[in-house]
Amino acid sequence: MKASMSEGAAALSVEGLVKRFGKRKALRGISFRVEGGDFIGLLGPNGAGKTTTIKILTGLIKPTEGGVRYYGRDFAAHPREAKRFIGMVPQQSNLDRDLTAYENLYLHTILHGIPKPARKERIEEALEFAGLTEYRDRQVKTFSGGMRRRLVIVRALLHEPRILFLDEPTVGLDPQIRRTLWDLILKVNQVKGTAILLTTHYIEEAEKLCGRVLIINKGRIIAEGPPDDLKREIGRYVLEIFLEDRIEEEFFPSRDEALERLKECDHSCKVREVTLEDVFLRLTGRRINV
Amino acid sequence: MFNGFKGVLYRELSVYRKRARKQILASSLSPLLYLIAFGWSLGRGVSVDGLPYISFLIPGLITMSSLNQSYGIAQELNITRFYFHVFDEYLIAPISHAEIVLGEAAYGMFKGLLSTVLIFVYAVLFGVKLILTPVFFVAILLHTFLFAALGITVAMLVRDHGTQATVNTFVITPMIFLSGTFFPVDKLPYIFKVLVYALPLTYSTKVIRASLTGGAVNLFFVLLLVIFAVLFFTSALWAVRRVEA
Ligand SMILES: Nc1ncnc2c1ncn2[C@@H]1O[C@H](COP(=O)(O)OP(=O)(O)O)[C@@H](O)[C@H]1O
Ligand SMILES: [Mg+2]
Repeated sequence: MKASMSEGAAALSVEGLVKRFGKRKALRGISFRVEGGDFIGLLGPNGAGKTTTIKILTGLIKPTEGGVRYYGRDFAAHPREAKRFIGMVPQQSNLDRDLTAYENLYLHTILHGIPKPARKERIEEALEFAGLTEYRDRQVKTFSGGMRRRLVIVRALLHEPRILFLDEPTVGLDPQIRRTLWDLILKVNQVKGTAILLTTHYIEEAEKLCGRVLIINKGRIIAEGPPDDLKREIGRYVLEIFLEDRIEEEFFPSRDEALERLKECDHSCKVREVTLEDVFLRLTGRRINV
Repeated sequence: MFNGFKGVLYRELSVYRKRARKQILASSLSPLLYLIAFGWSLGRGVSVDGLPYISFLIPGLITMSSLNQSYGIAQELNITRFYFHVFDEYLIAPISHAEIVLGEAAYGMFKGLLSTVLIFVYAVLFGVKLILTPVFFVAILLHTFLFAALGITVAMLVRDHGTQATVNTFVITPMIFLSGTFFPVDKLPYIFKVLVYALPLTYSTKVIRASLTGGAVNLFFVLLLVIFAVLFFTSALWAVRRVEA
């Protein structure tokens, strides 16, 4: 693409982001990298700083300290250049309720400078991809939550971004609709090759979708790696011992070892696979979802 | 080029198209009431500044009505920004802030000019002769632009709906009543005169009235309108930038 972007540089590199809202510190030094085609999850409880991070990465707010680089180029210095190849699905739908699905997409093609002759085809493709072809001329205010979410996702893809940010894309949706949305997002990553950074506080979502997870808590990334590695670090299996007043947990590298220990257990006990929730609990002493 | 400008205008006009009939109907009522109450009934046989009162009133209604429409985009901007977050779609696109401001301002001007046309229709119906000169077109463009830009500034600065309403009550409404729309500002007590001569509406009303009724246009006032336009465009740009704090 542009000669000015250094080859070899990460698609996105984030260096020491700090964000202060008045006295409150929402981010306390966030650093990570995203390579082309990655599927990364930013997993953490409510208020951890996920939305703040995404807003900084897409230029909606400015960091107090720290920097963001896309393909080696400073985002603050060249925002318009970077905005051409990033896409954003906000936590709260920012579709225009008074416009139809088609008009919402058309607006996006204008704002992103997609040439007129290409617009119609791209929009129709997007509607097809989202399964919304028959609703193209309906006003968005008549759409269900799941339909809106699908529309926002394909809208963000119209200009063929190389990195797509999704902020809690399935929050507030039925489990079944959540699954269809997961399929859609996976398809974007695998078929289109778009790198994805998704935030979530759903353990299952992070484990199912993400190649790499960044666990965020109170404005800091406290662990990072593929979900399996993170889990292996504390042990793949957990033995839960149900005591009178609490649950005690013991971790084991293999199922057999856990079962061995289960035999000598004189309370009611259960062996199960470790989840990222256990990882979080181990690191912070708290659960992600309370 | 100008993708931001075109996009913003496309959005605003697409939404407007769906409400056009209701909006035009609503905005045509109040000037008609003013015309009947003040122009026809109260002002019959009265002359002001050497003009029949209704001829004096019509240019005032033009500036008042177009100001309401152009500045009125603040209300819409406020809703789309705070409740529906539509504004974020602009901020995330590779477009400049100036394009956003100009796109919104163009929409405000469009609405202001539409209401101007409407008053012209009333003028014909009420048998009032108006003279159209190039100065009038320059003045009405400046007038609608500067109040649209003021509307954008206010909409970006306020934190919520209530603050917006307060600004309207304490700044916009008094300005509309005192700036020579319904009576000559020279009739005001001294202290108010000082006040209204700080307000842009005073100058746009003077210029527009003079140009439409064949009076002498003070070009210095036109220059002042240009200065206000630049000032409010700058403040709107600054206010949009500030959103990304
Ligand atoms: N505009 C704001 N003003 C003040 N505090 C904010 C603002 N936005 C977020 N915060 C605070 O920053 C922290 C992180 O918020 P956020 O990024 O929204 O978390 P998450 O998306 O992980 O739930 C929270 O404590 C939140 O209250
Ligand atoms: Mg959030």
